[in-house]
Formats: sequence, C-alpha cells, structure tokens
Amino acid sequence: MLLVLSAEHRAHLGCLPRVGGAAVGELGRLALEQLRRGAAPRACEAAARKLNIGVDTIQHAVEGLVYLLTESSKLMISEVDFQDSIHVLGFSDELNKSLLQLYLDNRKEIRSILGELAPRLPSYHSLEWRLDVQLASRSLRQQIKPAVTMKLHLNQNEDQTAQVLQTDPATLLHLIQQLEQALGEMKMNHCRRIVRNMK
Amino acid sequence: QRFRFCGDLDCPDWVLAEISTLAKISSVKLKLICAQVLRDLLGEAIEYEKILKLTSDAKLESGDVKATIAVLSFILSSAAKHNVDSESLSSELQQLGLPKVEHASGLCRSYEEKQSSLQDRLRACSLRLSQLGSVRWRVDYTLSSSELQEVNEPLVHLTFNVRDRECERMMAVPVTLSANKFRVLLAGEAQGRVAAGTSM
Repeated sequence: MLLVLSAEHRAHLGCLPRVGGAAVGELGRLALEQLRRGAAPRACEAAARKLNIGVDTIQHAVEGLVYLLTESSKLMISEVDFQDSIHVLGFSDELNKSLLQLYLDNRKEIRSILGELAPRLPSYHSLEWRLDVQLASRSLRQQIKPAVTMKLHLNQNEDQTAQVLQTDPATLLHLIQQLEQALGEMKMNHCRRIVRNMK
Repeated sequence: QRFRFCGDLDCPDWVLAEISTLAKISSVKLKLICAQVLRDLLGEAIEYEKILKLTSDAKLESGDVKATIAVLSFILSSAAKHNVDSESLSSELQQLGLPKVEHASGLCRSYEEKQSSLQDRLRACSLRLSQLGSVRWRVDYTLSSSELQEVNEPLVHLTFNVRDRECERMMAVPVTLSANKFRVLLAGEAQGRVAAGTSM
C-alpha cells in the first residue's frame, strides 16, 4: 500500500535535502519527541538557530516528518512501499535510507502511542455492597424487606466516578444469571471459531 | 475443600501459591511483618522499608515481598470479616500447608490481639451513603410582623450536619418549623424509636 503525499506535505519535506545528513537526524529526533510529548517550539527555535534556517521552515519540516511517520506506522506499510512512497519526493539515496531507518526503528513505539489515543468507556474499578433488611417504616410496621445496596466505582481516563444502585435479592439473582449467560456465550462454537481465527 | 476464613468457599489459588513464600520467612520475622500489615489494615501508615529489611534475609524478590503483604492482608482481613476465631484460623492455615507450628500460631496470636479492632475498622469502612453528624437547634419567638402586629409564635430552627460519604464533605441542611410541625416531627421520631425497639 502506497502513501499519497499531498503537495503541501511535499513542500514541507522539501527543505530536508538542503539541511544535510546530520541535521536530518536532529529533525527526526525532534519529530519523535513531538510524538511522545507534544509540540516543543523552543526546541525548534534552537534547531533553527543552529542550522541557520527560518523557524517556520524547521517547524514545517518536523511536522511533515511527524505526519509521514504516523501515517506509515498507522498503516504498517512495508519497507518497499515506504521507499516507493518517498521516491516521489526526489531525495538522494542517502536521505531515503535515513528516512527508512527512522521509520523502521520507531514504528513499534509510534504504534503503541497511537493505540492509546482511542476513546475509552468507563471501566470497572471496584464494587462495595451492603445487605440491609427494612423492619418498619412510618406507614407500616412489622415488615421484612431485604435490599442490597451497591456502590459501583468506575474509572474513565483517570476520572473516578461512583454509581449507587439498590435492588432486592431476587433481581440481583436474575442479574447474576444474565451475566453468567453472557460469559457462557464465550464457550459457544460461534465465539470459539472467531477467537481461533483471530489468533 | 471449604475454609471458614474464606467464607466457606474454596481458598483462592493465589493464596495457596503464596503460602510457600510465607514459609521461607522465619516465624519471628513473620510476626513482625504481620504487625506492619495489621497497621495498614487499621488505617495507619505501613512502613515498607522495615518490611524490606525483614525479608532481605529470606532473599525474596520485590514481587515476592508484595505478594507476602497481599496474602497476609487477605488472610487477616478475611478472617476478621467472617468472624473466625484464632484457633480455627490456625488449624486451617496448617491444612493449607503453612509448615511449622510456630508460623501459624505466631500469625494467629497477632490476629487474636487485633481481631476486635480490625472488625471495628471494617464496620466503619462498610458502605454508607450519608451519615448524620450533628443537629443544632435554636428557638425564636416572633413578636410581630408586617402582616400582623401581634404574632407571638415560637419558631424552631434546626441545622442537620450531614456527611456525604461520596465527596467526604459536611453539608448543612437548615430547616425551619413552626411549633406544631415540630411536635409532629418529634412524635414521628418517637414512634420510629419504638418501632426499632420492638422489631428486633
């Protein structure tokens, strides 16, 4: 699968041949830092001063590299496809080789960073419960009414929320039965076939 | 096989696995580690460096040290939860393979000393949604108002201080009642007390 680079993208990366081999390594490092920690304008300014090029050009070049690396890692394109995709930029063989090396060295890490960006639903943290029996109320004396009170603690992106629920034992047993049925589905042939194929 | 300290259920596999780690520690050091774990369960700070020093002789890795703390935590809190006496706990731990008589009996002696404080602490930590902290009151006497020149009515102000367990904050709920309403409230409360007494 080939990457199609837009004209703007190509223009941004166009400054790379001018800066020389060592500088390309430096820009590559800046691109990876940006992926790991976010944009760092001061680092770009320092690089611009060292290489004697405009800050904007450096920034575009770093962003161009970031986009190239993330798109390639996202699609997990092969070496050959990567080389063919950047061939259109018309760079020297040496530059192409360093870009390829940059991609291959870091694609696993980039993929794990991209994996963490997916949105997450609230997940289970813990469950507190309590069993009560209501013996009397203002309206009615001499009762026996059991109730289970639960506090479900959930985690969502480092936010902790809690949900309080109350039910009688019969409904709770029904709930447990439904959940056990859901777990039982995993053992059915249909699920087994899919799990086998995914492995 | 059912164990009382596990709530009459099977002992969890990970507990069985870690009993052999406990056996590697000398019984004297085990009792000291127990004391630290009990401090943690009772809400005081645990001194992790002391535990590391105590386990250094047995040459346990850091994962094993954490597992030791976890299994002791489980045994002590679960035994308190199911109100197991220290004799039964000792015999059940020996059935699980806690080898020497000193290990099991030392552990159970520490447990016995702290059993009731542990149970009090667990009772206090039980699920509680809100809790009445205190009630403050004031009685005013209204002399006159813009509507009527001679009012001469008593007025009761109550403030219920409620602790919301969810956000751990005290909330003040102010209520103002006329004398008659207040008498109704008191009558209802008295009936509630009677009902609580007779329903047991």
